[in-house]
Amino acid sequence: MHEILIKNAFVIDPIQGIHGDIMDISVRDGRIVDKVSGTCEVIDAGGNLTLPGGIDSHTHVCGTKVNFGRYMSPEDMRAGRTPRRGAMYHTSGYTVPTTYGNSYRYSKMGYTTLLEGAMAPMEARHTHEEFAATPMQDMLANTLFDGNWNLFEAVGDKDIRQAAAVIGWTLSAVRGFGVKLTNPGGTEAWGFGDDLSSIDETVPNWDITPRDIIDTSIKACEFLHLPHSVHLHCNNLGMPGNYRTTLQTLDIPSDLNPDRQTLYLTHVQFHSYGGSTWGDISSEAEKVASSVNTKPQVVIDMGQVMFGRTMTMTADGPMEFRLYTLHHNKWSNHDVELETGSGVIPVYYSRKSPVNSIMWAIGLELALLVKNPWQCMLTTDNPNGAPFVKYPEIIGLLMSNLYREKELDQVHKLTTDRTSLGTIDRELSFEDIAVMTRAGQAKALGIIDQGKGHLKEGALADIAIYPVKPDQTDPSLQYEEVIGAFQQTLYTLKDGFVVNRDGEVIRGIPNRTFWVNANLPDDMDVMKSPRFVEKFSRYYSVDLENYMVQDDYVERGIEMNTHVA
Amino acid sequence: MMQVTLTMKPRAKPFLPIEAEMIVPMNFIGSRELFVWEGNKKRRLEDVFTVRKEGNVNSPENIVVILRGDTGRVKRVGEYMSSGIITIEGDIGMHCGNFMRGGNIVIHGNADGWLGREMRAGSILCHGNAGDYCGSGYRGEKRGMRGGKIEIMGDAGDYLGEYLTGGEIHVHGNAGMFAGAEMRGGTLKIDGDVRIPAANMSKGTCIIGGVAHEMLPTFEKTGEKNGMVVFHGDVANKGKGELMIRQVQENSALQ
Repeated sequence: MHEILIKNAFVIDPIQGIHGDIMDISVRDGRIVDKVSGTCEVIDAGGNLTLPGGIDSHTHVCGTKVNFGRYMSPEDMRAGRTPRRGAMYHTSGYTVPTTYGNSYRYSKMGYTTLLEGAMAPMEARHTHEEFAATPMQDMLANTLFDGNWNLFEAVGDKDIRQAAAVIGWTLSAVRGFGVKLTNPGGTEAWGFGDDLSSIDETVPNWDITPRDIIDTSIKACEFLHLPHSVHLHCNNLGMPGNYRTTLQTLDIPSDLNPDRQTLYLTHVQFHSYGGSTWGDISSEAEKVASSVNTKPQVVIDMGQVMFGRTMTMTADGPMEFRLYTLHHNKWSNHDVELETGSGVIPVYYSRKSPVNSIMWAIGLELALLVKNPWQCMLTTDNPNGAPFVKYPEIIGLLMSNLYREKELDQVHKLTTDRTSLGTIDRELSFEDIAVMTRAGQAKALGIIDQGKGHLKEGALADIAIYPVKPDQTDPSLQYEEVIGAFQQTLYTLKDGFVVNRDGEVIRGIPNRTFWVNANLPDDMDVMKSPRFVEKFSRYYSVDLENYMVQDDYVERGIEMNTHVA
Repeated sequence: MMQVTLTMKPRAKPFLPIEAEMIVPMNFIGSRELFVWEGNKKRRLEDVFTVRKEGNVNSPENIVVILRGDTGRVKRVGEYMSSGIITIEGDIGMHCGNFMRGGNIVIHGNADGWLGREMRAGSILCHGNAGDYCGSGYRGEKRGMRGGKIEIMGDAGDYLGEYLTGGEIHVHGNAGMFAGAEMRGGTLKIDGDVRIPAANMSKGTCIIGGVAHEMLPTFEKTGEKNGMVVFHGDVANKGKGELMIRQVQENSALQ
């Protein structure tokens, strides 16, 4: 029996409705309990901010394209080198660190759960292998369906039950968690050298449109009762004027689920551009945010851009090619047969660039203009907008108008004219930040019942204690202290063990992988459908039996069972 | 003035590399304890070198660091140095003068690979030969040396000044293959012979005083200057670089 008592904690737990009470937290065997024996280990939180472990609902830390980023940029591995020390393995890399680098740095910032934003089903094994090497962070894998031919067939037939059968089977087969659509239809079109410019354009060789794919996937997702909604990277990413596509996409879902959103739009910063060329690009964050404000069925994440070098990586192959034509840097593009594609290219976001400065402002505008923090998650789409180690700076920018004004002075002067950032004086509270970095994410991902994102009795004892006393700190003036506090916890607890203390890894405890078993009824089992089996063997380069990820790859898997309606 | 003499102690395994990025003049102000890595072991500087300090100053400009003994496996000496002088009496290991921002490094022996990699300012003088990738960028890096001067009295290895972006490199002897590959600025001067020079260069000047072997066909001859043939290229990449060659090897694609 392993017990810990955390005393004098300044707790903010939005899911439980605790808004900053000094209280004690008891932990036994990895779970929060009512009380512990008198002889247990005691941690004095000293009135410092204590939150549930952080959750990143959209990050790229494991899998083939992350690894491609690693091996196409040996120069990145020069940064962030730490030797093997105590419980730590050696690490290296800044924009695409080694798996241990990701794990330790997230842990230092108080994070305990990560959702890998895009796992190609064909390449699931690699992703799960890297999950296994990312200790202290419970992992979830959003599975790509944006160019899945089996799904497309069901969409073409307008058969939601069949679409659900394909999604359910694939998630179980590759140990995935949620449905990710990346530039739906567009990546498939890119396989034929084309892209789609609107959600009503027909996918080449298919009589369907992105709208059909999104709509059917949403309905199939709800039919399956999946914990997370459809996780959508809209069409036209990074194109001036793309806010129209985003607004049209926002209008697609109706409110189908009382417990969470029906559609999760990711890295919306990249999808809120006005103008028509790079020369007249402007922010349309106000329009996008006001649309989100009227739609409780939608949750977005920021996809904030921060200045400096980083690596972009996405399943959106055509977008990465467009980036290449701008930067002429080394790049990669990749096709995953019948399923999706991907691209990787390093970029440098510069304060001197008007476009980069406007992008920076749009992310902040979105977070400040979306009224309900439960509807806007704090992300950088790591590492696309910036490496995740920049999160504390973003927190500082959102909590302090003064800091925003100072930064706004440093960026390209066009930013003031082309965005509304300078006119917004909203400052987020510690509670808003707690929602945007853990509670909201737990709700959006549907993992509250798994004990994530809160400190209720029975919850997983993932706890972060930050060296800041909210009742004695004015974040709008003392933003530097706040940033420093979020950069390094006093203690990070994972499963009831202190894993990180003052930035030093104390103990590298193994993680879990949450995956969804859809428990399809017999008549929905695609393995029993001769048509599916025949198509699979004709078009895939692997056998059906070899496609499925064995249990050996998810030794510490947590099966989340769902049942169809 | 202050003189710091570091004399290498005999080592049980002299082949093991020593990572010594803290050997920069500034670090010898005061009495801070310094560490180096020998293979995978962290060592005090005093355990690897006999350290003798003479004089005491407050600013790095007036510091001379002298390395003595078998220093051919000591890596990253002078990394990020901004002022002062480092004199190496023998050979020096890889990555000497990485990211240098000022000051001088004088090497009396030979330098191993990556000498003056990505340096910004300052000067390096090597009396012997230099290894591969002298004045280049690190693997994957798109910008090599950006400023300062490297002078090599002997020969240089392959990929001399790859991704050279600024500053000047002068090699008195010969260079290996691909000198000035991907050059995008700066001046690369080689008094001796080279093979396949300036591939894919986009800007900058490359002057070859000897024979250019296996010249690429993607350079456009534009005239003659000072007894040298002047080329423009690399046209394969719409480059605007200038390549001047004393003598192009016969039977190469371009003459």
